[in-house]
Amino acid sequence: MKKILSVLALSVCSIMSAQAAVVVIGAPGAADISASDAKKLFLGKGSKSAVVYELSEGNATRSEFHGTVTGKSDSQLKAFWSKQVFTGKGNPPATVGNAAAMKSAVASNPNAVGYIDEADVDGSVKVILKP
Amino acid sequence: MKFNLKALPIAISIAMLPAMAIADEQTNDEKIAQLEQQVQSLQTAQTESLTERFSFNGFISAAYVSSDNSAGYNGATSSADFSEDSKMGFQGTFNISNQTTAVMQLMMRGSNDWEVEAEWAYLAHSFDNGVKVRGGKLRVPLFMYSDYLDVGYAQPFARPPSEVYSQVPFSSYTGGDIAYDYELEDSTLTVQAFGGESDVNEEDEGLDLDLSNVMGLNASWTDLTWTFRAVYGQAEIDGSVGGGAVAVDNETAAFTGLGGSYDNGSWIAVAEWTTVDIDGVLADSESAYLTVGYRINDFTPYATVAYLKTTDEDEREGIPPLAFAFNEERVAYSLGLRWDAIDNVAVKFDVTYATDFGDTHGGLSNNGFNPLSGEFTYDDTMVYTVKFDAVF
Repeated sequence: MKKILSVLALSVCSIMSAQAAVVVIGAPGAADISASDAKKLFLGKGSKSAVVYELSEGNATRSEFHGTVTGKSDSQLKAFWSKQVFTGKGNPPATVGNAAAMKSAVASNPNAVGYIDEADVDGSVKVILKP
Repeated sequence: MKFNLKALPIAISIAMLPAMAIADEQTNDEKIAQLEQQVQSLQTAQTESLTERFSFNGFISAAYVSSDNSAGYNGATSSADFSEDSKMGFQGTFNISNQTTAVMQLMMRGSNDWEVEAEWAYLAHSFDNGVKVRGGKLRVPLFMYSDYLDVGYAQPFARPPSEVYSQVPFSSYTGGDIAYDYELEDSTLTVQAFGGESDVNEEDEGLDLDLSNVMGLNASWTDLTWTFRAVYGQAEIDGSVGGGAVAVDNETAAFTGLGGSYDNGSWIAVAEWTTVDIDGVLADSESAYLTVGYRINDFTPYATVAYLKTTDEDEREGIPPLAFAFNEERVAYSLGLRWDAIDNVAVKFDVTYATDFGDTHGGLSNNGFNPLSGEFTYDDTMVYTVKFDAVF
């Protein structure tokens, strides 16, 4: 019984650690940003020189990121951007297909920000916020 | 000229000689491969930037509206109506440069026999200091939902409460505006001044008005959860109402509005309070609404209470025909549900009950006065709406 329990506990732990948090990434030389900076950037406000990348719609990491950082669900985000688009205030950020594409998009530009699953972080990028 | 053209390659080769000398170690093949690579990346950059510069978007609303009587609330009558609230819009945005944008939005409305109109058509330029200037055809920014009045998908309710939104009969103007965003630590304050001219020609409502010297100022603050907004606008009105029955001769109309909204991802609350003051015979009015909604996954039930009343009845006390025509009073209660059915499409259900008209027609176009009974035909109305809102 004890064995079964400890196996169960172990597997729960491993499931939990497999579900790594989403992190905001920048080029290796980029400076850290605050959670409110990140919220502004991903909603098209704040620094005009910043280049922002999103994962494409329907991506689970994208939903998780917005749940934590901007507090918006997929459909709320869609409604938010349709407000911006149809009032000429701005277009949603460019999208990339996966974590690898995100890393290569962000890696070379010190003004670029994106987000990936923490498990996908490697030396090509720097974690600038753990929301 | 011919000589010059022939001389050009020679001049270039001479100029490039030192570079060639340095690159001497590379073989020709390597150099060609490198050049090809460069040309290719330049080409990709160019086509990418062209497609990135132009964006095309659209929205569609299809609505079914019906009422338990023919009072005409939002154009609803007891027979089912599919065209009153149905509309379609297309927008093209072209980024001429990083700072200059051209935007054109074409609208077709069922209530207007699907005639094509330009709602937005402007050039915008952002200066380095954060000032943004726009010129062309623009929305009059009087209400919280003015800028995306027709984009149902971007609104929580089936439609903005008409008690507030029907008090101004025009939604766009020709002119310009200038706006500045103050980026505060966790929030943004936007100040905008606007000016221009407009006109209203709505034959079925008997309105034929020219609006000149439209001008106003609007300030809004948001931290992306809370939004507060204040606006003042005025215009000179000239023309006639009631199908020519009442002449309007250069009268000044003033609009004030206060609004606030809250959205924390689960709870939504929106409230607006507005007044309209017009010199002369046209009615002054005050109106407001409060909408509260709560998101449960894809469902957002909401409730709205709204009122509208004229504030200058005493001016018409001794003139019954004018009092019957212009006095207005109404309270409306709505219960609705927004369902984010599939990606880009929201379905909305709404039941609105309008009542408390007092001794007025309640602002309803088909509510006639019966001189024999001394009463208006309807003293309330119930309106049912099912609406599909999509964006692409």
